[in-house]
Amino acid sequence: MSAPVSETATAALQEPDAPIEAPQGGRTPWWANQRIGLLILVVALSALFGVLRPAFFNQQLVVFPLLRDIAMFTVVGLAQLCVLSIGHMNLAVGRMAAFSMMITGISYDLWHFSLYAGLLVGLVAGAAIGALAGWVIARTGVNSFVVTLALDFLLLGLIPLVYTALTDNAAFVTKPPGMRELRNYSLGDVCIGNLCGSPAVPQLTLFAVIAMAVVGWIYSRTKLGRELLMTGTSVKAAELSGIPTARRVITAHAMSGCLAALAGFMLAVSTGSIKATIGEEFMLPSFLGPILGGTLLAGGFISVWGTLLGAALSSVIRKGLDLLGVGLESLNIYLGLILLVALSTDRIRTVLSDRQGVRKR
Amino acid sequence: MKRFAVRFARTTEMTLLAICVVFFVGLVIASGGDLLAANSLRVLLQFLAVPVLIGLAQMVVLAVGQLNLAVGAIGGVAAVSMGVLMAEHGVPVVVALLIGFLLATVTGLVNGLLVVLTRINGFIVTLATMTVLLGVQYRVVGTRTVDDYPQSVKSFGSHAVFGVLPLIFLVALVVAALLAVMLRRTVPGRQLLASGGNPIAARLSGISNDRSVIIAHTLSGAILGVAAILTVASSPGVNKSIGGDWLLPSFAAPIIGGALLTGGSAVVLGTVLAAFIVRFVDTARAEFSLEPSWVNFVVGAVVLGSVVLGQLRSRRQERRTVVKAPDAAVAGGVL
Amino acid sequence: MTLFLADKVDKLFPGVRALDGVTLKLEAGSVHALLGENGAGKSTLIKVITGLYKPDGGRLVLDGSEVQFGSPHESASAGIGVVHQERNLIPGFTVGENILLQKLPTSRGLVDRSAIRTEAARWLAELDLDLDPDQPVTELSVAQAQLVEIAKALSVESRVLLLDEPTASITPNEAERLFRVVAKLKNDGRAVLFVSHKLEEVFQICDTVTVLRDGASVLESGPLGDLTRDQVVDLMVGRVHEALALPPRTVPAADPLLELSGVGTATGHADVDLSVRPGEIVGLYGLVGAGRSELAKALLGLDRITAGEVRVRGQAVRIRNVRDALRNHKIGYVTENRKEEGVFLEQSVSRNIAVTVWDRLRKALGYVPAKAEAAMVAEYVEQLGIRIASPAQLAGTLSGGNQQKVSLAKWLAAKTEILIIDEPTVGIDVRTKDAFHTLIWDLAANGLAILLITSDLPEMITLADRVVVMRDHRVQGEVLNDHDYDTMSQRVIRLIHAEGTTAA
Repeated sequence: MSAPVSETATAALQEPDAPIEAPQGGRTPWWANQRIGLLILVVALSALFGVLRPAFFNQQLVVFPLLRDIAMFTVVGLAQLCVLSIGHMNLAVGRMAAFSMMITGISYDLWHFSLYAGLLVGLVAGAAIGALAGWVIARTGVNSFVVTLALDFLLLGLIPLVYTALTDNAAFVTKPPGMRELRNYSLGDVCIGNLCGSPAVPQLTLFAVIAMAVVGWIYSRTKLGRELLMTGTSVKAAELSGIPTARRVITAHAMSGCLAALAGFMLAVSTGSIKATIGEEFMLPSFLGPILGGTLLAGGFISVWGTLLGAALSSVIRKGLDLLGVGLESLNIYLGLILLVALSTDRIRTVLSDRQGVRKR
Repeated sequence: MKRFAVRFARTTEMTLLAICVVFFVGLVIASGGDLLAANSLRVLLQFLAVPVLIGLAQMVVLAVGQLNLAVGAIGGVAAVSMGVLMAEHGVPVVVALLIGFLLATVTGLVNGLLVVLTRINGFIVTLATMTVLLGVQYRVVGTRTVDDYPQSVKSFGSHAVFGVLPLIFLVALVVAALLAVMLRRTVPGRQLLASGGNPIAARLSGISNDRSVIIAHTLSGAILGVAAILTVASSPGVNKSIGGDWLLPSFAAPIIGGALLTGGSAVVLGTVLAAFIVRFVDTARAEFSLEPSWVNFVVGAVVLGSVVLGQLRSRRQERRTVVKAPDAAVAGGVL
Repeated sequence: MTLFLADKVDKLFPGVRALDGVTLKLEAGSVHALLGENGAGKSTLIKVITGLYKPDGGRLVLDGSEVQFGSPHESASAGIGVVHQERNLIPGFTVGENILLQKLPTSRGLVDRSAIRTEAARWLAELDLDLDPDQPVTELSVAQAQLVEIAKALSVESRVLLLDEPTASITPNEAERLFRVVAKLKNDGRAVLFVSHKLEEVFQICDTVTVLRDGASVLESGPLGDLTRDQVVDLMVGRVHEALALPPRTVPAADPLLELSGVGTATGHADVDLSVRPGEIVGLYGLVGAGRSELAKALLGLDRITAGEVRVRGQAVRIRNVRDALRNHKIGYVTENRKEEGVFLEQSVSRNIAVTVWDRLRKALGYVPAKAEAAMVAEYVEQLGIRIASPAQLAGTLSGGNQQKVSLAKWLAAKTEILIIDEPTVGIDVRTKDAFHTLIWDLAANGLAILLITSDLPEMITLADRVVVMRDHRVQGEVLNDHDYDTMSQRVIRLIHAEGTTAA
C-alpha cells in the first residue's frame, strides 16, 4: 500500500522533541475496573447467601431457576445495550417482547407452527417493530425516549385488543410440542457420549450464550458494531466520516427488538404461557444489567460481559433475599438501593482514579 | 397586546385549544347533547384533576432538562401512606394528608439531591428511586385495599361546586395557576427555566443550576403530593397499584403540550390542555363503548404525531431562517 | 487612570503552569487588546479575572483596592462585565429578561415586568440599539444577540468590560457596528478588554496591547501605535517567523476532477462556478458567513443542490451523502469543526483513522481483521507523525494538532482523490501549521485535487494555485496566485469588497 504522503512531508510532520501525549493517569488501576468489582461482588454475595441459607446451592430449586433468570435478564439487558450503544433508549423493550410473543402465539395457535418456527416468527416480528421505532427516529429526528415511549403506549393499547379478539383468557392456549420440555431440560439432558452437562444449568441459558456471543462478536469484530459505536460517540462525526447513520439507528433498534423478542420467548417458556402481560417487568432490569456493567448511557461504549454480571448481581440478590424471607415485592427496595449505591461508588472510584493520575483538565 | 395575540395564535397552546374545542363539540354532538348535562360534565372534570397534576409534575422537571420516572411511585407511596394513617392508625385527616404531602415533597427533594450530589443521570436516579418506592408502597399497604377512612375526605373528593365543578378539579387548576405564576413571575422560577434553557449562561449569570434542579424535583414531589391527596379523596380506596399507570400519561401531557425534553420550556397551559384532550379521548371511547385499550393506542399515536409534526415544523422554520439570514446580514438587520 | 489591574497572576494546574506572573492593566477610557496564540493562556486569564478560577498567586486590583472573586457572579457584582465566546442568552426569555438576568427587578415578590422593560430599554439606549425589550431573543440575528450580551454585561453597572472574541461569528458590517459601540463605551470612560485573533480589527480599535505566550506576558500594556503587524506576530509566535519554503510544484494540464457550473443550493448559493484539476490546490476564500463551508456541505449532499450541475471526472453526478461521496466518487472532507465533526473524542485513535476503511478491510459477515486494521493505522500514524502512546489511546487526550492529523489521516487512508479541506490549521501552533502546509502541498504534488477553504489569508497565499473569492454565497471572482503576499492580499481584499458593498 502506498499512501500519497511523501518523505518530505512525513519528515516535516515529525515532532521529535514533542512529548508523547500519553492518556492522563496512564492505565486505569484494576480496582477501578467495574467488571472485576462486579464479579467479586457476585461471588461474595453468593457465598454469603450460601452460608446463611445452604439451600441457596440447591441445584433444582434455586440454582436452576436462578440461572434461568440470569439468562433471561442478560438477554433483556442486551436488548437495551444495543440501543444504548448509539446513545438511544428503548422504553418499549418489554412491550416489544409482548408484541413479538403475541405474533408467536398467533403462529402456534392459528397456523400450528412448530416451537422454533414460532420463535423465528417472533424474532422477525421483534426486529420489525424495533426497526419501525428506529425508522421513525431516524426519519424525524425525534428523541428516542419519546418515540419508544409513544410506541409503548401504542402497543399497550394494541396488544390487549388482539388478545381479546383471539383468545378467551388473554392467553394463547395452544402450546407447541417441546415447549414444556424446554422449560425443564438442563444440560444434564445433553450428552456427548458419556459426558453429560450439569443438571443445574437450564437449556434455556444456551439462548443467552448464543445472544451474548453474537452481540459480542458484532461489537468487537465487525464493521457494523464499530459503526454503531462511532454513531453513538458522535452522530455528526459519523455522518461526516461516511457512516450511514440513519441506517445504523434503524439497525440498532431492530437488534434491540429482536433481542427483546428472544427474552420474551424465554419468559414465555419459563412461565409456560404466552400472555399479554409478558415483558411488563423488563424496563428496570433492561437498564440495570448494562448500566451496572459499565455500558454508557451516552453511547459509544458497551460491555457484554458487564451486562451478564449486572444481570447476575441483581438476580442473585433477588434470589438470596427471597430465601432470607424478604417479601418478593419489597425486594425492589433493595434492588433500587443497590443500583444507586453501585453507581455512586462507581462515580467515587472514577474520581479517585482520576486523582491518582497526574492531571485533570 | 396585538403582537402578543399574534404570537399566541401561532403557539402550540392555540392549536391544542382549537383541538379541545373541536373535540368537545364533536363529543356533545355524538352524545346527542347528553354531555352537557351537569352530571356528565362533572364526571368529565372529576377524572381530569389527577392527570393534570401528574402532567405538571413531569413538566416541571422537564423544564429544567431532567425527567422523573418516579412520578407514579411517589404519588403511590404518598397516597397509601395517607390512607393507612387515617384508616388504621386513626391519625386526624389534616395531619395524615399533611404527612403524605410532605413525604412526597421530601422524596422529590431527595431525587434532586441525588442527581446533584452523585452527578448520575437523572433517568437512572429516578429509575432507582422508583424501584425503591415501589417496594416501600408494597411494604406499607401489602395486598390490601384501604378504604376505611373518614367520610369528610370522601365528601371532599366528590363535592362539586354548583353540581358541575368538582372541588378536586378546582384544586388542580389552582395548582396549575400557582405553578404558572411561579415559573413566569418569580425569581426562582425564572432561574429554573434559565438553567433549563442554557445552563452555561445561567451559571455565568450567577444562577446555581444545582439549586434549580433540586427545586424542580422538589416541586415535582410537592405536586405529586397534591395529586396523591386528590387520589385518596376521589377513589374508592387505595392499594399497591395506585400510581402504577401514571408514568406514561405524565410524559404524554407535557410532550403533547409542547415541552422540550432538553429543558427551558414552561408549558403549564399546554399540559393542562393536553390532559383535557386525553380525557376527551377516554370519554369518546366510553361514548362508543370501545375497549379501554383504545385510549392508550390513540394517546400513543397522538404523542408520536405531535412530536413528529413539531419536529417537522421547527425544521422547516430553521431552513427558512437559514436562508433568510444572509439577506438580513446584508441589510444590517433592524439595527 | 488604571481601573483594573491583574498583578503578577499565577495559575497552576496539576503539571502545568497555565499563567506565570501575568500582568494586565486596563485604563479608563481606553481599549486594550489581549493577544496570543491558542493555548497561550488568554482564556485562563479571563477565567481568573471573572472568578471562574482562583488564582494561585498575584492579586487583582479593581479601582485601587484588592479584590477576590469566588464566582462569576461576584465579579459581575463588582462591576466587571463579560461577553463570552459562546452564546450566552436564554432561548425562551425576552431581550429585557436576558439583559437583567443577573438581577431581575421584583416588586412584592414577583418579577416586575414593567421595571424590566424600562431598565432594559435604558441599557439598550445606552448602546444606541433599537431593540424591543419584549422581543424573544430567539428572533434575533447573531450580531443582535451579541449586542444584547454587551447590554447584559453593562447592566451590572460595569466599568470594566471584557469582550472575548466578539467578532468570531459575525459579518464585517456587523463588526463595524460593534466597533462603534466599543468606541462609545470608551468615550464614556469605561475600560474595555478586547480579545481577538483578527489583527486588522485590533489595530483598528485598540489603544494598548498585552501579548501572552506560553502563559507569560511577553509584552505588558504596550501602546499599539508603536508596533507593526509583523512585530506583533513575532511576539505571539516567539521567534521571527520565516516564510515557509516549499518546493516548486506545477499543476499538470488535465481535465478537472471536480467541476461546478451554475450551482445553487438550499442554503442560498447561486451561480457558483468552480473547478479543481488533479494536482491542483484551489483556495476558496471569503469572510465568515460567505457560505464556503456551506457550499462544501452541499457538495457532499448534506444540503440540497437546487440548480446547476456538479461534475466529477466529467460525469454529472448527484452526491447523496458523505458515504456516497467517499465510496463512489473518492471525495473526502476534512471538516473545520474538528472536535465535533472531525474526530470521535471518546474513541481510540485507531478507530478514528480506520473508520473510513472498514468497508475495504471487511471480510464475510462484516468481519474486520484486527491485524490488517492495526497495520493500516500504524502506517498513517507514522507517516503523519501522530504522537501517541498506543493506537488504543482516546483521541480526546490528544493536542489540537495531533487531532487534526487524525482527522486528516482517515481520508488519506481511504485513498480519496478529491479532498475538501476546511480551515485545517485553526487553533494549531505555528510549527505544526507549517508541517500541515508542507503536507497539503505534497498531497497535491502527488496528484490529489484539493479544494482548500481557509480564512487565513497568508495560508491561502502560501498554498493555493488559484483563489476563488466568495461573498454572500456567490463567487465574486478568481485570482491566479503569484504567491506574493502584498499584491495577492490586495487583489483578494479588493475582490471581496468589489461593487456595491456597504462595508468600510
